[in-house]
Parts: sequence; structure tokens; C-alpha cells
Amino acid sequence: MLEAGKIDSKQAIFLMVSMVIGTALVFISSSTARLARQDSWISILLAILAGLMIAWLVVNLNLRFPGKTLFQYPEVILGRWPGKLVALLYIWFYIHVSAEIIREYGVFLVSAFMPETPMIVFEILIVAVAAYAVRNGLEVFTRVNQVILPVIIISVIILVVLAAREMDFKRLLPVYIDNGAVPIIKGAVTPALRMGEIVTMAVLIPYLKHTKKAYRIASTATMITGFLLLTAIAADLTIFGPEVTTGWFFPELNMVRMIHLANFLERMEALIMVTWVAGVLIKISVYYWAIALGSAQLLDLKDYRPLVLPVGVILLALSIMIHDSVMDLFVYTGTFVNFVLIIFEAVIPLFLLVVAVIRGQGRKQNQG
Amino acid sequence: MARFTKPLRSRLLGRRKSSSGKGDSSQEQAVENAFSNQELQKLELSADLQANLLQIMSILSDCSDVVCREFDFAQEERVKLALIYVDGLVDKTQVSDQIMRRLMLDAPLVKQDGEFTRARALNLIKKKLLTVHQIEETNQVDIVIDAVLSGDTVLLVDGHACAIISVARGWESRKIDESQTEMVVRGPREAFVETLRVNTSLLRRKIHNPNLKIETIKLGQVTKTDVAVVYIKGIVNDKIVTEVRERLSRIKIDAVLESGYIEELIEDSPWSPFSTVSHTERPDKVAAQLLEGRVAILVDGTPFALTVPVLFMESLQFPEDYYERALIASAVRLLRLFSMFATLLVPSLYVAIVTFHHEMLPTALLLSLAGQREAVPFPAFVEAFGMEFTFEILREAGIRLPRQVGQAVSIVGALIIGEAAVRAGLVGAATVIVVAFTGIASFAFLYTASISLRLLRFPVLVLAGTLGLYGVICGVLAILVHLATLRSFGVPYLSPVMLSGDMKDTAIRVPWWAMLKRPRIISMAAPQRVARGLKPTPPPARGKR
Repeated sequence: MLEAGKIDSKQAIFLMVSMVIGTALVFISSSTARLARQDSWISILLAILAGLMIAWLVVNLNLRFPGKTLFQYPEVILGRWPGKLVALLYIWFYIHVSAEIIREYGVFLVSAFMPETPMIVFEILIVAVAAYAVRNGLEVFTRVNQVILPVIIISVIILVVLAAREMDFKRLLPVYIDNGAVPIIKGAVTPALRMGEIVTMAVLIPYLKHTKKAYRIASTATMITGFLLLTAIAADLTIFGPEVTTGWFFPELNMVRMIHLANFLERMEALIMVTWVAGVLIKISVYYWAIALGSAQLLDLKDYRPLVLPVGVILLALSIMIHDSVMDLFVYTGTFVNFVLIIFEAVIPLFLLVVAVIRGQGRKQNQG
Repeated sequence: MARFTKPLRSRLLGRRKSSSGKGDSSQEQAVENAFSNQELQKLELSADLQANLLQIMSILSDCSDVVCREFDFAQEERVKLALIYVDGLVDKTQVSDQIMRRLMLDAPLVKQDGEFTRARALNLIKKKLLTVHQIEETNQVDIVIDAVLSGDTVLLVDGHACAIISVARGWESRKIDESQTEMVVRGPREAFVETLRVNTSLLRRKIHNPNLKIETIKLGQVTKTDVAVVYIKGIVNDKIVTEVRERLSRIKIDAVLESGYIEELIEDSPWSPFSTVSHTERPDKVAAQLLEGRVAILVDGTPFALTVPVLFMESLQFPEDYYERALIASAVRLLRLFSMFATLLVPSLYVAIVTFHHEMLPTALLLSLAGQREAVPFPAFVEAFGMEFTFEILREAGIRLPRQVGQAVSIVGALIIGEAAVRAGLVGAATVIVVAFTGIASFAFLYTASISLRLLRFPVLVLAGTLGLYGVICGVLAILVHLATLRSFGVPYLSPVMLSGDMKDTAIRVPWWAMLKRPRIISMAAPQRVARGLKPTPPPARGKR
């Protein structure tokens, strides 16, 4: 086995939740509110449904091929070379998305906290920590996450509670009538695809202690993620209203800046920075691990660890080259990335599932 | 004392030399005039007393503390006896009263139906005469030598190729005393001492159970130190015991002078700043560890016992937590957790905020800080780093200094470095406060963890000085990842982490009636610890009946 670690259901849920909200929490509000306005919370609810569907799709596909990851079963389904091609595409997908995340991460830190520091410094540091975690295997960053996720959730709750004074639920009115269905559905696309990152379960399932609980893990993780996003977006909308929320790249950051407590607790951006950095660390670690593991499986290597350093260098270089400017990044994340995500989160898994069902593959292993 | 002839001695030495020439280990070749273990193992006692004495005394030659006493059995010249022991390691009254007196004077009084012949002497001595509580018989020279050097008294009987080892040990040692390094307000005060037997007895007195097993092995080729592996069968995780035995048996070292030698040779991550083997000098703590399924390693010659496996959370746990009421204990533990973070982070956060993130402070505080720092010629990072460094020097000096000069150091430390440096405008008052607070906080939890965190404080400080808050966060995350990679004898060091079971005894401690299970992460052998439903409920008030 390339990866000797095994994780239990709770750890898997934690990992999936962190992986999704690591970036989603900061980036979703603005783009969703731009389309669905005060009905963004309905978009999130729709997105949860979509997320559940993707989760079902992936888990169903995976359970047909026990012990095999996303990088291995396409070969069984499509034959050797087409299968390898699909696996290669997925590795590209993970490399691309990781580089994207690292870039988003650098941009956020530079623009929100330390504008004079070169972005690459932030990126090198976090990728180095992630590489250290990935080198030591799945169990390590899973345990790290068990400490980090509660911190993130508690921070979110604290922030929302402290900001509650500024909330006005009338800002959520009128419900639906203003917008109609189309903007709400359009608004749901981005959060749905963010939640669709649960597709990474396809790499994780073979390393679960109880594979049969995979459905429950995926659905629970999606529900928790959805609830957290719902809380965040509802807080943004009730505090700022849709217009103002749309105008900012990072509404959560401004929400924190609203907090004043006893003339002492002000400017708690540090808390956002902690949750952001910690969440991204987990997210990058999972993807990073998937890339290294997937490459090793594709190339039939005995160990993925020699790949950790080269993959890290590729990710860093790519993250710098991938966009020319911040605007480029936001245009890309607003439009094109959705196509990439749809293809890899829904279209390819669905295609694989259909082929597998038609060819009757996987059932035998499943029954036997 | 037996005078051995030169030729015989050289004969013995000559034989030794020839055997070492055959290619024994290099260490033995280096030591010219010494006997090796392998050689001793080959030697056996003969029936000739003088030959035995010569052999043994030539091995123990030039050891001025070895006493060899020859005398006649039961006042008759027919049977010769010889007693060998180390002066200072034996209980002299016992040796003279229970052994020599019995054999020389009391022997004729013992009723017997024959004469004191050589043939009967051995049995007679063993069965009827020696009133020592524990005796042993051997014909191996190496066992005899070992026994003599461990403080036993060896009796050689003429005409018999064997020696009687009587245990009559008694040497000067420190009395059982109050623990000096792990103090408690409430709870037993006794601490381990330097003698292994006393230490095992302290454990035995706490756990009256036949399942408390104490296995002893000898480690150190030169020192031959006794090392005991202690565990409770049925509670302990057998895999861990096997692992401990295996790791101990791998040790090949000349000397074991303290348990630290063993710690470094059996730990999982030798280069980690965190210790994956825990040590304590409190018997009650060791007993509690054993009852949770851990294994203890006791080493002769040191009051510090090792316990494995160790979890990171143990840095927050002190024996007193379990004697004090749960609510109070939990509050204190949270305080310790806070101190732990403070030790690692407070100076770094101070530097990061003062250097990079002024906006995070309330305006009034910021102004006051800026006012203080106006005259200071150094950046906050240099200031804090220098003060932390100075504090570490003071701390180290405080431990090593002779008592007589203690006052001088504390005056210099507190007054000159603290007060005068601020007055001279070299250091901001806030920096002194931060450093002093951190210094005090670092003593509020387990010393072992405190050293590790104090060490890690410096790299984090550098990160804070260069990258601000972001550097601090990354530093903490890197430490967290490192902690997650550690294992102590197969048990993840960071466990139990959030919501993973076994959480009842971590940053808080639940009352004893709720602590139903032993930590499953350490041993699954006997999970139940406390019976269900023991929560005390007050009886119904009298008037209502």
C-alpha cells in the first residue's frame, strides 16, 4: 500500500468539512450575493442538495471498486490507456485547483493583511508546512485537522455571535418575489461546486476504517459544510444587505471589523486570519496528498513521498504563473473555473458510473 | 586475606590474554588488564577452597573495599570456610550475627548425630545454620562476582564446588523524602529514592495486587545496572510491554547512570523537541500511570522513573488534579493550557503586533505602548529576543548557583536587568512585563513540556519578527503538524484530540464517578475503571417523610 494510514468515520467527516470550508467560507458570500441577492440563503440550500447528489454519485462509484481510488478504477472501467488518461486528467485537476487555492490564499493575505510583503513568501511558508504534513501521511494531517476544525467552527460561532448586534433580519426581505427562480439557481452554482469538492472522497474512501459508512460520512460532511456556509452568508446579508456584500471581495473580514466589545475587543481580524490559514492548510494538504498519491498510483510507484517535494515546487510556480493580476483571478474564479469544476465533479464521475453500470463492472467485487 | 602467588595470577591473566587474542569484541581488547563478561561466564568453581579464593580474589584484585574472611567451621579445623563481601554494601551486624556467629559459635550447639564432616557441612549450613532471610547457591564465578559487587555476602565451603550467596545488603542511602521537583499541596508527599528495591516497594505498597509485575534486567556492560520493567498484567497493553522489552534488550551501552540514558535509547523521535518518554519521581503518579495501562521503567541509582507511552496532554496533568475536586482541577488545567500557549506565543504576539499590526490594539493602549517605546533604540524583535535570552540565562544560573550566591544573582537579575534597563531606556517596560509573564507562565505546567516550548519560542519569535502574525500562525501550525507526526510506543502523541473519545481526562477532568473507562488509546485490555451510577445523590430530606 502506498498509504498505510487508516482513518475513522469521525476523522473523515472532519477532514471533508475542513477541506470544503477552508476556502468557501471566505469566498462564497460575495459571488453568491451578486446573483441571488437577499435570497442567497436559498441558493445555499439548493447548493446543499446538489452537494449531496455529487456526494452520492462519488461514493456509489467508489464502493463498486473497493480498495481503489479515483486514480485506479477508471482503468478498470475504461481499459488501461483511457483509464490512465482519466486519472491523469484528475491529477491535472488537483494540481490546477491547488495552485488556484494557493493563489487565492496569497491574494487574500496580501490584500487584507500585509500589502507590502511579496505573495510568494506567504505561499512558500504554507506549502512547506503542508508538504511536511503530506510527507508524514494521511493520519498526520487528519489529526492536525481534529484540532483545527473545532477552532474554525468555534471562531465562526464567536464572530457571528459578537456581530449579532448589527444584524437586521429585515434585510432578507422580500423573499423570492423580487428575484424569481433563475438568479437563485445561478447563485447556487458557485456554492454547489465548492461543496462538490466532496468529490475528493473518491481518493479517501479506500483509507477509511469502515468503508460502508462512506455514504453517511459524505452526507454528514456536506450538511455541516452547508450549515456553516448558510450561517456565514446569512450573517453577511443581515449585517450588510446584499448590495454592500456584493461590493466586497471578503465580506467576512468586514464583518469582523464591525465588532466592538467593551472598547477593548476590536479588530479581531486575527481570528479570521487564523481560521483562514488553518483551513487552507488542511485543504492544500488534502489536495497535495491526492496529487502525490495519485501520481504514484498512476506510475505504479512504491512510495509517494519522493514526489512531495517536486509537486510542491510545481504548485508554487504554477500558483504564481496562473494569473496576471487579482482581477484576472476573480474573473476566472467567477466564470471559467465553474466549467472545470462541473466537468470533474459531476460529468466525469457520472460518465464513469454510467459506463460501469452498463458494462456491469464492479458489482462482482461488491458482492464477493 | 588470601595472598595469591604471582605465577598463578599471571597464569590467569595469560589465559585471559590468549582468549582475547582470538577475537573478542574490540572494547575488551582495549582494556588491557581487565576481565570481560564472556570470560567470567566460562569460569566455574572447583572443590578446592584455596583455588576458588585465588581465582575470585585475582578477579577482585586491587579492590580495597572487598573483604575476604577465612575461618573454621564450628571451631574445628577440619572444615574451612571463607566469606567474601564488599565493605560498605553489606549490613555488618547481620553478617557478623547471622552468618559468622552462627557458623563459628552456634554451630556446635545445633544438635546433630555425627561429626562436622566436609561432606555434610554444606547441607548443614544451608538448612540449619544460616539465619539469613534469602540464600542462593551457585557454581558460576560470574554470578559470585556479581553477587559480591551488588552487596551480597558469598560463603565458600571447602570441598564443595559451590558458593552460598546470602542476601544481607545494607548501605548508606538517602531516606525517602518529599518530592523536590513535583510538589503538591494535597496528596502523598513521598518521592522515589536512588535505590531500586525501595522504589519498587513504594509501588507495591500502593498496588496490593499480584498482577503488578516487576521484571528486572541488567543493563550497561560496565555498570551492570538493575533496570525494572513494571506493569499491571490484565490492564496493560501487552504489545507495549513486548515493545518495551524489545527496545530495552537492544540496548548495548557501557553505563546506565540515570534513566535519561535509557530514555534517549528507547524514545521514538530522537530529534523532536518534545519528549516521547515521560519521567517522574512520584510513586503515586507512576501508580496512576500503571493503572491506566502504561509501563514504567525504574532504574537503580536514580529517583526518576520512566513511563510509556506518553501523550502530549499529560503535560497538563498533575497528580493533584485527581485528588482535588473535579471542578477545581478542571479550572486549574484550563489555566495550565493557557500558560502553555502563553509560554509559546506571548512574546511572539507582542512582537508581531507592535511591529506589524498596530491596528489590532485599542487606540489608548497603542498610544501608551508607543510612548514607552519611543526612547527604546531597538526594534521590538531585538528587544524581546534579548530579554528572553537573558531570562533563560537567569533561569539556568538560578538552578546551578551555589546557595550562598543566590541572593546576588536574584538582585542582579531582578533589579539591574529589569528596573535599570527600563530606566536607562534600553528596554520598554512592556517588554519586561511580557517576558516576565512568559517566564512565570512557563513554570505552570509540566517541566519537560516547558523546556520544549521555551526552546520553540525562539524560532516562533523570529517568524513573528519577520512575518508578523502570519509567521506566528504558520509556526504554530508547523508545531502542530510535528506533534501529529509523533508517536510514543505506537500511540499517537497528540491523542486524544477533539471529539475522539478519551476526552474525559484532558484539558478538563470529569469527576471520578463519571470517569468510567480507562483511556482506550493506551490499552483496550480492561476498559472499565469505575462502576456506573456512583454519582452521589443526597438522601431525601427527613421532614418530607
